[in-house]
Amino acid sequence: MTGELRVGFDVGGTFTDGVLMRGREVLAKAKSLTTQDVTAGIVEALDAVLAESEANPAEISMVSLGTTHTTNALIERRNLNKVGIFRLGAPATTAIPPLTGWPEDLKQAISGTELVHVIRGGSEYDGRDIVPLDKQAIAKACREMKGKVDSVAITGVFSPITTDHEEQAAVLVREILGDDVHVTLSHRIATISLLERENSAILNASVITVMQRAVSSLKTAVRERGITAPLFIVQNDGSVMSADYAMDYPIFTVASGPAASVRGSVYLSGIEDGVVVDIGGTSTDVAYIVKGFPRESSITVTIGGVKTNIRCPDLLSIALGGGTIVKHEGEEVSALGPESVGYNLVRLGKSFGGPLLTVHDTAVALGKLDRKLEVFKTDFVTHPEKVNALPKRLIANAWSAVKVTIEEAIDKMKTTAEPVPAIFIGGGALVVPKEGISGVSEVLCPNHFEVGGAVGTTIAEIGAYAEGVVDLEKEDRDNAIARVTEQAKDNAKTAGAIRETVEVIDVEEIPFTYMPGKREKIRVRVKGQVLE
Amino acid sequence: MKGQGMSARKILEEWGAKKFQVINKRAISEITLGASILATGGGGDPEIGLLWTYKVLDEGKEILMVDPMEVPDEIQTASPACLGAALVLTEKPPGDGVLNLAIRRLERYLERPIQATIPIECGGVNSPVAYAAAGELGVPVIDVDGMNRAFPELQMTSWVTHGVHSSPTVSVDNRGNITVIDTGEDDVLAETLARRAAMAYGGISWIATYPLTGRQVKETSILYSQSIAWAVGHAVMRARQEHLDPIEELLKSLKKERDVEGFRVFRGKIVDINREFGSETSKGFTLGQVALEGIDEYKGQTASLDFQNEWLNLRVDGEVLCLPPDLIAILDSETGEPIRTDIMKYGYRGTIVLIPAHERMRTPKGIEMFGPRHFGYDLDYVPVERLNG
Repeated sequence: MTGELRVGFDVGGTFTDGVLMRGREVLAKAKSLTTQDVTAGIVEALDAVLAESEANPAEISMVSLGTTHTTNALIERRNLNKVGIFRLGAPATTAIPPLTGWPEDLKQAISGTELVHVIRGGSEYDGRDIVPLDKQAIAKACREMKGKVDSVAITGVFSPITTDHEEQAAVLVREILGDDVHVTLSHRIATISLLERENSAILNASVITVMQRAVSSLKTAVRERGITAPLFIVQNDGSVMSADYAMDYPIFTVASGPAASVRGSVYLSGIEDGVVVDIGGTSTDVAYIVKGFPRESSITVTIGGVKTNIRCPDLLSIALGGGTIVKHEGEEVSALGPESVGYNLVRLGKSFGGPLLTVHDTAVALGKLDRKLEVFKTDFVTHPEKVNALPKRLIANAWSAVKVTIEEAIDKMKTTAEPVPAIFIGGGALVVPKEGISGVSEVLCPNHFEVGGAVGTTIAEIGAYAEGVVDLEKEDRDNAIARVTEQAKDNAKTAGAIRETVEVIDVEEIPFTYMPGKREKIRVRVKGQVLE
Repeated sequence: MKGQGMSARKILEEWGAKKFQVINKRAISEITLGASILATGGGGDPEIGLLWTYKVLDEGKEILMVDPMEVPDEIQTASPACLGAALVLTEKPPGDGVLNLAIRRLERYLERPIQATIPIECGGVNSPVAYAAAGELGVPVIDVDGMNRAFPELQMTSWVTHGVHSSPTVSVDNRGNITVIDTGEDDVLAETLARRAAMAYGGISWIATYPLTGRQVKETSILYSQSIAWAVGHAVMRARQEHLDPIEELLKSLKKERDVEGFRVFRGKIVDINREFGSETSKGFTLGQVALEGIDEYKGQTASLDFQNEWLNLRVDGEVLCLPPDLIAILDSETGEPIRTDIMKYGYRGTIVLIPAHERMRTPKGIEMFGPRHFGYDLDYVPVERLNG
């Protein structure tokens, strides 16, 4: 398959990057402004790479997308769904109600505690009911939340083992609220550990619409171009999943952009140990790489200030990018963001005659944008007089605030006091300080750094899994695991991976303790390479 | 009831106690981290106990920890705790007022007010829970515990090995069910009954146990156990902030606080986990074995551990390096966060640290009650400092 063409996109808050690859070779690359409808930005990037490479769309064998949609929405608390929250677990669990420990602004963005219902129900570890599910209470709550919610998250005590109460509640919710209200069931999202699983499910429910828009835009865009290749979305571990699946599970893409960028950075720089700083227009993600892979979070993963039990690379996301608004009083910087002008940079930024001072404008004012990259179609500045009129001290203060913010983020992710190499990638890498960064031995901006995330999506591997219920009194445990593993490898092959490259990511065993014998569910996740 | 409407400060004033500390959120998070590290892989999810304690502090209630030497001989104390499978607790957090219910019932049974709480063990759950309960009840926490580690069974305390007992114990669940266990001097039977009650309730119970007098607390507890946990937690949190090696700082804090040497013996990743689920239904523990493959300088070596809620023993390439009651901790090498038996997953990487048990846990009676033979190993107890010296 080495000779086949792949297209990859990395849709950021500000820019959409596209690449067309054959094997390890970047045939064409493009960068377009991310548009409000997303589609136009992708189409522009797609058309640009198709035109530049003169490739035949029919020969493209894989289209993949890394997206920071969900992360940006969560960090900026923007475009989030209003979420109806059900916990099935009273009279247990009430000492720690849902949303405990959540940042206040995120709580408000998904409608606060008003739509939270702790319902009598849930299961014991052995499948018994804690108490029977209080369906009347669910129905009453649904009628009250009608018209106020876009999405519902349901979390039942012990649902990863006994799914009944969550399923029953879902039927009721759909009956009363209709099919337009998306339902997230916690047992499909994560495993045992109620509070973290509940948080993961609520976050998933809050970004459903964001992801639906992203996927349908991509589908339309590629079909219109005559591309029939399957669509994939990069998920948190750097492997890919089918786009249709991603629409119900957007939380699995919360680290999609960074996971693709990390893979892209290692691929492009050859550096296998150090820090990856992926700077976009809206946010920056810092990851720590060990032997070429992102360090995985060991126990809980914090997303938008909330603890979850989703497996993810250990990432620090901060609201800093090229489009981040520099707030100031006179010549003193009062805050960097968290708002970004995003794709409106060309309307709102000082460099383009707009009213707002952004990080981009700071770099322009200091003459740091010396490298004109082909990939950027727009000029960096159309109104130099506006930029030149900015007070020198304000610019110096803003530049130093950006440097300190990046240094602090790197410092938080580093686990050694020794300086380590840093790979700066992403379009925003152009407009931030790269010299004299403390704690860093060198800053590298490898070739194609401005489209590193897009390159990363095209080298992504296929992720697959298989599940089986086994009775350990009848079958040897090692045999059972080996059997399910073989099935998972077959599934990966069916999905497009080369059988010989498929390796196990993890093996999970979930007990069915309420059943006679020693039954358990075995779940094996694998990944394999798409190309030789 | 005489116990109502008390405040911890008023009680300490009545005692004339001068040596006590105010526990704020930072303090309880350090104590809980330290306790989870000393919990030897068990002790449960710290998140639940912490969020609970935060909630009590947010409600404006004061939590005070008092020096055991300030405690009058005759007063009544008790230990509020969660008993059951740690895995169940992470999935089924407590309902409102469960420990209050247990303590009030114990007071009624004893016909005496409880004037202080004593944490039963060092653990992610039972350490903060004793503070949350104290805050809710308006009584102080005493700077002691019964283990200075976590153990799977109720009778495995310095209290029992020094001649005091867990009875009467009150065990309750979230639905308001109450079981009073009074087996006199038979602490093993009390454990069996308490465990059965927990399983019948659905895997975990909330108990008020070990109703000790002030004098018994001073004579039979692990003294200053809370301060030890606090120092360990503080050292690890500081290491994270200053990018120091958390394992090194942890070992230094133990040297300073307890004058003992800990041992860093292995670094590896989890390659196999075998949970014995069948046993969990019958016995009420998280049970099984785990294997780690060495990394870095330990490449090529294999570590294996058995667990029953806590890590029990460690073998590296077949050689025994640690036996109960000495402590085993598997810690994230970079953050010092403990990897517990209930949440470990395939692929987790960690450093194994061994810590000598407290002297009050190593008496002949202690070795008999929670040494290797008690856990079914045909081995004599050898202190960890001799196995690794």
